[in-house]
Amino acid sequence: MLSEERRVESAALSGRASGRLTNPDVRDEFGLETLDMNMGPQHPAMHGLLRLILELDGETVVRCDPVMGYLHRCQEKIAENRMYPAVVPLTDRLDYFANMHMEHGYCLAVEDMLDAEIPPRADAIRVLMSELMRLASHIPSIGFLMLELGAFTPILYSFRERERIQTIFEAVTGARMMFHYIRIGGVKADLPEDIPQRIWEYIEGLESRFQEDFVNLISGNEIFIARTRGVGKMTQEQAVEMGVTGPALRCTGVDFDIRRDYPYSWYPNVEFDVITDTEGDVAASYRVRIAECLQSIRIIKQVLENLPEGEVMADLGRRIRPAEGEGFGRVESPRGEYAVHVVSDGSDTPYRVHYRDPSFCNMQLLQEIVPGHYLPDIMPIMGLVDPVSGGWDK
Amino acid sequence: MAVTLPEGDLNSRLERYLDGFRNRHGLDDSGVEGNVVRLVVTPGVLPAVLATARERLGILHLAFITVVDREGSFELTYELLDFRGVRVRVKTTIEGEEPVIDSVTKIYPTANWHEREAYDMFGVAFKGHPDLRRTYMWQDHFDHHPLLKSFDISTKRTFENLR
Amino acid sequence: MFLVLNLAAVFTIAERKVAGYIQLRYGPNRVGPRGLLQPAADVFKLFSKENVSPTRSDIWIFLAAPIAMFIPAALVWMVVPFAPNAVVADLNIALLFFISMTSIGALGVIMAGYGSRSTFSLLGALRGAAQMISYEVPLILSLLGVIMLSGSLSLVSIVDAQGGGFWHWNLWLQLPMFIVFYIAGLAEVKRVPFDLPEGESEIVGGFMVEYSGMTWALIQASEFASMGLMAAMNVTLFLGGWQPPIDALDFGNFNWIWFGLKTALITFTFQWIRWSVPRLRMDQLMDLGWKILVPVCLVWLFVTAGAMLVLQGF
Repeated sequence: MLSEERRVESAALSGRASGRLTNPDVRDEFGLETLDMNMGPQHPAMHGLLRLILELDGETVVRCDPVMGYLHRCQEKIAENRMYPAVVPLTDRLDYFANMHMEHGYCLAVEDMLDAEIPPRADAIRVLMSELMRLASHIPSIGFLMLELGAFTPILYSFRERERIQTIFEAVTGARMMFHYIRIGGVKADLPEDIPQRIWEYIEGLESRFQEDFVNLISGNEIFIARTRGVGKMTQEQAVEMGVTGPALRCTGVDFDIRRDYPYSWYPNVEFDVITDTEGDVAASYRVRIAECLQSIRIIKQVLENLPEGEVMADLGRRIRPAEGEGFGRVESPRGEYAVHVVSDGSDTPYRVHYRDPSFCNMQLLQEIVPGHYLPDIMPIMGLVDPVSGGWDK
Repeated sequence: MAVTLPEGDLNSRLERYLDGFRNRHGLDDSGVEGNVVRLVVTPGVLPAVLATARERLGILHLAFITVVDREGSFELTYELLDFRGVRVRVKTTIEGEEPVIDSVTKIYPTANWHEREAYDMFGVAFKGHPDLRRTYMWQDHFDHHPLLKSFDISTKRTFENLR
Repeated sequence: MFLVLNLAAVFTIAERKVAGYIQLRYGPNRVGPRGLLQPAADVFKLFSKENVSPTRSDIWIFLAAPIAMFIPAALVWMVVPFAPNAVVADLNIALLFFISMTSIGALGVIMAGYGSRSTFSLLGALRGAAQMISYEVPLILSLLGVIMLSGSLSLVSIVDAQGGGFWHWNLWLQLPMFIVFYIAGLAEVKRVPFDLPEGESEIVGGFMVEYSGMTWALIQASEFASMGLMAAMNVTLFLGGWQPPIDALDFGNFNWIWFGLKTALITFTFQWIRWSVPRLRMDQLMDLGWKILVPVCLVWLFVTAGAMLVLQGF
C-alpha cells in the first residue's frame, strides 16, 4: 500500500531503520539495497502456511507482504453444490481451532433465512460448547505465542488443557476436532447425563490451575515482558480502519464484542464482561486473552447452573429448502467477528455462501504494523493477530 | 487517539442513519428491518454513500463485501457495522459480464483485502484500488475467476495454461 | 576426543529427559532401559543420513565449519583438571588457552552461515558473530577477579587455591563475577535465552539450517560439548573444581566424583533455564551484554582489587 520511499521513511521514523538507507545520496553511492527475504510457506513456527515477503534493512523490516492461498480449498464453491445441512461439516474445517463457532455462524445464517425458532436448550448447549471452544482456542494461542518467543514449555501445558477439553468434546459430540455438532435447527444430540458434572469439575480445576501453572509462569517473566511490551503497538484508529476485530481490537481499547453488541443465541441470558486493555501491543493482547478465558469460565458456570430442559433440535422438516432470499449470521469467534452470508434461490443447495473470516481480515494488520519492527518481532505480532490458516485461506 | 463509538437508543439511531442516507443521496430503495438499515443504490453512487456512512454518520466498520454472480449481473453487498447494534446493508447491482466499480479503499481501508478477494474470485475490477492482485489463486498464468457460475467444478479439468 | 564425543551423546539424552519432565511428559523412554540408549539410536540415524549441501554453497567452507566448531570445544577439555593429579595437559596459561579457543568457535559459526549461502544462514551467522564476540568481553572480564585471587592463569593452581571446604570456593568472594560468567557462558554457547543465531522460530536453524546428517551431528555435538565445557569451567573457576565441600569427604584421587557431580548440577541448571524462558531479541541481548554485564564486571574488579590491596596491607 505504501510506496517504496514512504515505507523506508516510515521505518526510519520509528528509529529502527538505519540512517544510511534512508539517505538517498548514501544509498546510491554505496549501492545499498534492502534484502528481499521469504519467510516461506514451509516454516516450523508460522501459524499455518503463509508466505511473508519481507524486505529487510539489516534486522529491520521495511516491507511485509503476506501471500496466502496455500491452503485454499474453495469452500465457498463447494458449498454451492451441497445441500444446506451438508455444508456444516465444511464450516468445521474453516477455522479449525474454533470449529463450534464456525458451525454456529453458518447455522445462524440459515436459520435467519428460515426464520426458525431454536429451542432454548439447544441455544444454551450451543453457548456452552462455544465457550468451551473459546477456552480451547485461547489457551493454545498463548502457548503458540510463547513457542514463537522461544519458550518451549507453556505450549505443552496449554495442550494439556486442550486435550482435556477435547476429551469432553469427544464425550458430547463423538469427535475430538471436527465436531459437526451444531446443526441447522439446534444441536445434533443432547448432552450425556454425566457431562454437566464433568464440565463443572473440569472448570473448577481449571480456575485454580490457570493462575498457578500458566499465568504465573509467563506474566512475570522479564524476558517475556521485554519481548512483548511495545511490540506491535496500534492506535485505536489504526485498528478500526484496518477492520480488525476480536481480542486484537479490544486490546487497543475499543470495546466491541458481538456477544454483547449484536447478541445471538443464549448470550442475552448470561452476564459477562467485555475485556479491553489500553496499550494495543502484544502484551496487551496476551492480557486480554487471559482475562477472556476467565470470563468464559464464568459464562460456562452460568449456563451449567441454568440449563433449561426441553428438546435440542427444532422441527424444520425433512428438507431444508428456504425461500429465495438471504440470511446473515454473525458470531464472536476467538479471533474476532465471523460472519456468514447465505444467498438462496429456492432450491436445495445454497446459491452463494460467503464467509467473512476474522483471520483473513486481521491479517491486514501485518502489512501495516510490521514495517519498522525487527525481524524477531514478526512472530509476537502474529501472536497478537493469532490467525489460523484454515481461516484466512478458507 | 481514541475512537468514539455511537451512543443512544437503537431505534433512534436507526432512524437517524436512514434519514442521513435519504437526505443526501438518491437511493433506489431503503428501509429499516429489525436492526438493519437496508439500502439499494446504483454503482455510481456507492462510494458517496459509504463516505457519508463513515464521515457523517460515524459508522466505522466495514464487515464484508459479498459478490453474488447472478449470471448477467453482479450483486454486491456491503455490510457496515456501527459497533453498537446497528447494521447497514448497502446493495448494488452491476450489469454485464465485465464488472467495474470504484474502490472504497480510501473510505474504509479494510476494504483493501475484501476487494482483492472479490477480484480474485469474480473478476470484479475496482477502480482506484492501490494494489489489486489475487489473494488465493496463482498470480500469473491463471486467467479464471473461480467463483463465477461459468467456472464449473470438474474433476476432469486440465489447466493447460498453467505452468 | 573419546570423552568429549561420549559426553556430547550423554548430554543429548540428559537434555531430552530434563525437557520431558519439565514439560510434564516422559522424555525418550523406548530405547534401552528408561531411554538411556537413545543417543546410540540417534547416532545410528545420523550416520545413515545423506549429507545434503546446497548447490551454490561454498563447499570447502561449508564442510570445514563443523570441524572448526568442534575442535576448539574438544581441545579445551584437555586443560580441565578432573582430580588432584588428573589433567591431560597442565598448561600454566590454561585460562588464556580457553579464551582463545572460544574465539575460534565464533569463527566456526560465521563459516557455517556464510558457506551455506542462504539468507537464513547469513542472518544466523551475523547474529551469531555479533553475539559471540560481544559476550566474550564480559566472559574475559569476569575471569580477572579469579586470576587476581589465585595469582596464576593455570587451572590446576586455581583449583588448588580453593581448597579447605565449601567456604573457600571462589563463588563467595566473586559472586557477581560468577553470575556474569554464567550468563556470558550461556551466550557463548548460544543456548536459550540467547539462542537467536539458531532461532528456531524465526530463521529455522539460523546458521545450521543447511546442514544434515553427520555434519549437523558434528555441530550439535560441538554445541553440547561446549555447554559441558562451560559448565566445567564454571565449576573449576568458581565452585572449587574437584575440591570436596567438606574436608572429611575428601576422596583423594577419586575426587573426580565431586567434579562430575558439580558439573552435572550446573549442566542441569543450564537445561532448566533452556526449557523455562523465552529468548531475548538481538538488541536486548546486546543491551544486556554491553550495558549491564560489562559495568558489573568492571565495578567488581575494582572492588576486588581494592579489597586485596587493603587486606594485604594489614
